[in-house]
Amino acid sequence: MKLLFDRVFDGAGEMLAMAEKEIAAATAELGEAAPISMPNTAYSLACHNAYLGKQIRNVSELARGFSEAKEWASGERRLGGAFNAGFATFMAAEAIEACKYARSPDPYGGEYHGHMSDAEVRELGVPLVTGDIPGFVVIIGSAPSDEEAVELIRGYQSRAIFVFLIGGIIGQARRQNLNMGFPVRVVAVGPDIWCAAHIISFVNRAAMIFGAVKPGDREAFDHYTFHRIRAFVNAFRPVPDIVVASGGGAIAMGFPVVTDDAADMWPVPKSLIIQQNTADFIETSLEARDIKIKVSKIDIPVAYSTAFEGEIVRRADMRADMDGSRSDCFELVVSKEAHEIEDHSIELIGPDIDEAEPGARTSIGFVCEVAGKAMQSDFEPVFERKFHNFINCVEGVMHTGQRDTIHIRVSKAAFDAGFRARHFGEVLYAKVKSEYESVVDKCAVKIYTVPEQLKELRAKATEIYNRRDERLGSLTDESVDVFYDCILCQSFSPAHVCIVTPERLGLCGAVSWLDAKATNELDANGPCQRVSKQRVVDENIGIWEDVNERVREASHGSLEQVTLYSIMVDPMTSCGCFECICGIEPFSNGVVIVNREHDGMTPLGMTFSEMASMTGGGVQTPGFMGHGKQFISSAKFMKAEGGPARIVWMPKALKETVGAKLNGTAARLYGIDDFVSMIADETVTEDAEALLEFLGGSGHPVLGMEPLL
Amino acid sequence: MPFAPVPQAFKSSLKEVVIGAGESAVALGGENVLPLYSFDAPIKNRPKVGIEISDLGPDRSLPELAKFYEGASSAAELAARACAAPGADFVCLWLEGADPNGEDRDVADCVKICREVAEASPLPLAVQGCGSPDKDARLFEKIAEALQGRNVLLLSAKEENYKGIAVAAVTAYGQKIAAESSVDINLAKQLNVLISQLGIAGDSTVMHLGASAAGYGFEYIASTTDRVRLAALAQNDAALQMPVIAPVAADAWSVKESVMSEDEFPEWGPVERRGADMEICTASAMIAAGANAVIVRHPRSAAAVAELISALL
Repeated sequence: MKLLFDRVFDGAGEMLAMAEKEIAAATAELGEAAPISMPNTAYSLACHNAYLGKQIRNVSELARGFSEAKEWASGERRLGGAFNAGFATFMAAEAIEACKYARSPDPYGGEYHGHMSDAEVRELGVPLVTGDIPGFVVIIGSAPSDEEAVELIRGYQSRAIFVFLIGGIIGQARRQNLNMGFPVRVVAVGPDIWCAAHIISFVNRAAMIFGAVKPGDREAFDHYTFHRIRAFVNAFRPVPDIVVASGGGAIAMGFPVVTDDAADMWPVPKSLIIQQNTADFIETSLEARDIKIKVSKIDIPVAYSTAFEGEIVRRADMRADMDGSRSDCFELVVSKEAHEIEDHSIELIGPDIDEAEPGARTSIGFVCEVAGKAMQSDFEPVFERKFHNFINCVEGVMHTGQRDTIHIRVSKAAFDAGFRARHFGEVLYAKVKSEYESVVDKCAVKIYTVPEQLKELRAKATEIYNRRDERLGSLTDESVDVFYDCILCQSFSPAHVCIVTPERLGLCGAVSWLDAKATNELDANGPCQRVSKQRVVDENIGIWEDVNERVREASHGSLEQVTLYSIMVDPMTSCGCFECICGIEPFSNGVVIVNREHDGMTPLGMTFSEMASMTGGGVQTPGFMGHGKQFISSAKFMKAEGGPARIVWMPKALKETVGAKLNGTAARLYGIDDFVSMIADETVTEDAEALLEFLGGSGHPVLGMEPLL
Repeated sequence: MPFAPVPQAFKSSLKEVVIGAGESAVALGGENVLPLYSFDAPIKNRPKVGIEISDLGPDRSLPELAKFYEGASSAAELAARACAAPGADFVCLWLEGADPNGEDRDVADCVKICREVAEASPLPLAVQGCGSPDKDARLFEKIAEALQGRNVLLLSAKEENYKGIAVAAVTAYGQKIAAESSVDINLAKQLNVLISQLGIAGDSTVMHLGASAAGYGFEYIASTTDRVRLAALAQNDAALQMPVIAPVAADAWSVKESVMSEDEFPEWGPVERRGADMEICTASAMIAAGANAVIVRHPRSAAAVAELISALL
């Protein structure tokens, strides 16, 4: 078997020999001084220009350029040498084509496209750079049949991939009467492999125009093409050495080659891929080049808009009713390996909506499988919680709850318009793919409707929910490397910055550390940024120099320092959307917490709104702090002042919401059982003196603690 | 004790963005002091005044404006007239007729108008889209191509369409763009960061932070502009150091004071006078807040604002 490096060098040799002959012929025929140029470009021979940093203007300069190219192909038979040989192949190919254009300004006479003008480079370059065209493919050789050739081209077209054709496949497409040309994004470049020079010329000019890469800086070209130009090659067998040499150049530029030729071929992961099933070329290629196809519309028979989010489907109007409180229903997102998922597969397992009696109660379960290189299992619950919004926006469909407490109704009108179970899958697929584009490469949805099967699956789902809750519970501020900031509220509270940690969620209650992390990964320039915690100043009250720097920057200079665990020293600021406010109660040395829903008086002599007026707006008021409900049971809740043991009063409803967790925390931290019963509420008193009396009676630990002031 | 002034020039400065080509080119920004604080350090480029024309023509029911544009009908003729208005540093063509919900003039026609206006204008040109993100993206790409070498300013690239506009206008054809956000320092910064990630340098972008007429929630835009300037200078935030442009015409001419007829409010005086006054108030306040350029519609406004600027600087 012939080694891959040998094939590259032999192929490069073939191309160089051909170029040498062409240049000699041009010299003899036109003379050394004859001008050499490509039409409608300011970049001369763009490959020579890019790699050698030289403008080729006449035949003699072309000949000099050629001898340099020849040196590039005489290196060591190792990786770097093979890449150089690949570039030499492109320069030789460009020399061959340049000689054609030296003889005639239009050597292909409309039969093939040949050279692309600078205007075409710009026209195609803009959507390539912005991602509106997700990438381009260069197809070389002949497909096994004319039909397969056209199927492959159409497959790329339907995914908005730009297609360049070289060699046999052009004839195949013509025999099938395929419409070709720049506007339909299929271009017949030329009959021979050296025509590939026109595509490489296009790529190099794009790098110079859009990336401001300087001619001669080959590394910068490689870097640009690898990171910015989403291109790849499909080569049909037989693949001769000369094509392998060109492929070497393509790979050096970051463009993977997919071929069905296994003879004398050496697969290289992510770069040279043998896919003997040509029907899978598209899938294999897109995966190799990390190209994601955007979902632009949701394929359902009814309208989809946030306008329908609050729509209620009444009993009288409903065709289907799936109620998780009475039968086994659930929603679950699971991450998988890419090869385990067929993108956009939507599978209904069990009877459809129309098979049940109108208005009858049925059950349903959704398993949404996602895969992606940047996917993390921590994102699963983040996606899952959005299912409520996703499904609710369908006209005539109502959705409430999450996990296994969902309740879904489909209206008669939606049913009559053709809405069926499968369409839930279409909605979830389209929304998950488009909203989480940066992490989800593939998505498939399974919809289950058989009650027995659902019972079993729900039990499995519950295990997963429990595991997730444990994971969330096990996350501590000490166990992570970074916190996140959140400046979502700055539009109306310009100086406020939340620092979100695993044990201290955002004061609105809506942004946990995992949410902030997901927000950051999904939108790197969005409202949540990573905050390192390398430079600790005081871990007890929660001061980090990194955190302060971020707070200074994100508050645009309004705040100098915040502590994460103290209410007395530089407490964290609030925007105004806090779920709760806590304020110190001077008689007992404890704190009173009041939630937004509570409209009565507190022992501080202030209502929630009165306390809110001193706490919000991004100002630091020692002794007062806004926070989320879940923070109450955190071990970090005013840790600097002794922790949750300081809590002396909360509204009854709030006690009920956080009671169990708070009791758990108190038991863990202080060994106190039923701590919540020691805390007063509005049914006990709203008066400070009576509060102190109650605390004495209940044996509240605060009475033995250091004074706060 | 004698008063000893302590100049408070900052170490950071705004980026300088040049629009137009040749002798009439104007530079925006570049200073290292708070707005109009010429006593702290010389202000590199004084604020500039643009004068707006619409492809649908001026409101000829306003006598003064009608007289100013008398005999000028095509956009090119209007532009030539606008360029001659005292105080105007550049002209801004508003492609009002491109609006898909209005005349829906097609892209090719708009490009033709832009070409003619560019030919007829001795001053630098700004082109304002119709506001539809999709239509503007298509328009600006073609306009940028057609006006290569004129170094025009395209208003605006927004979050929905910045990619295509930024890449086509700036990288492919070397024009300038305004990044438009809606009255929020973080959104403005985010858009600037996103645009810079496309490989576009800060001297090709100006910021359009949103607009409102004086008295109509103006304090929001004023304080946002204020904070942007402070972040750029005091905190050396490179993502906010682009100059600010304030197209105030559309807002100033659509509020009650500028549209109610004199018949209804005789005590308010003539409509045209009121509209121009609204425009002058808004533009002056924007300059005080930190705008490096304003765009007004009425020649009287352009003259008044230019006079104010030269009196102050």
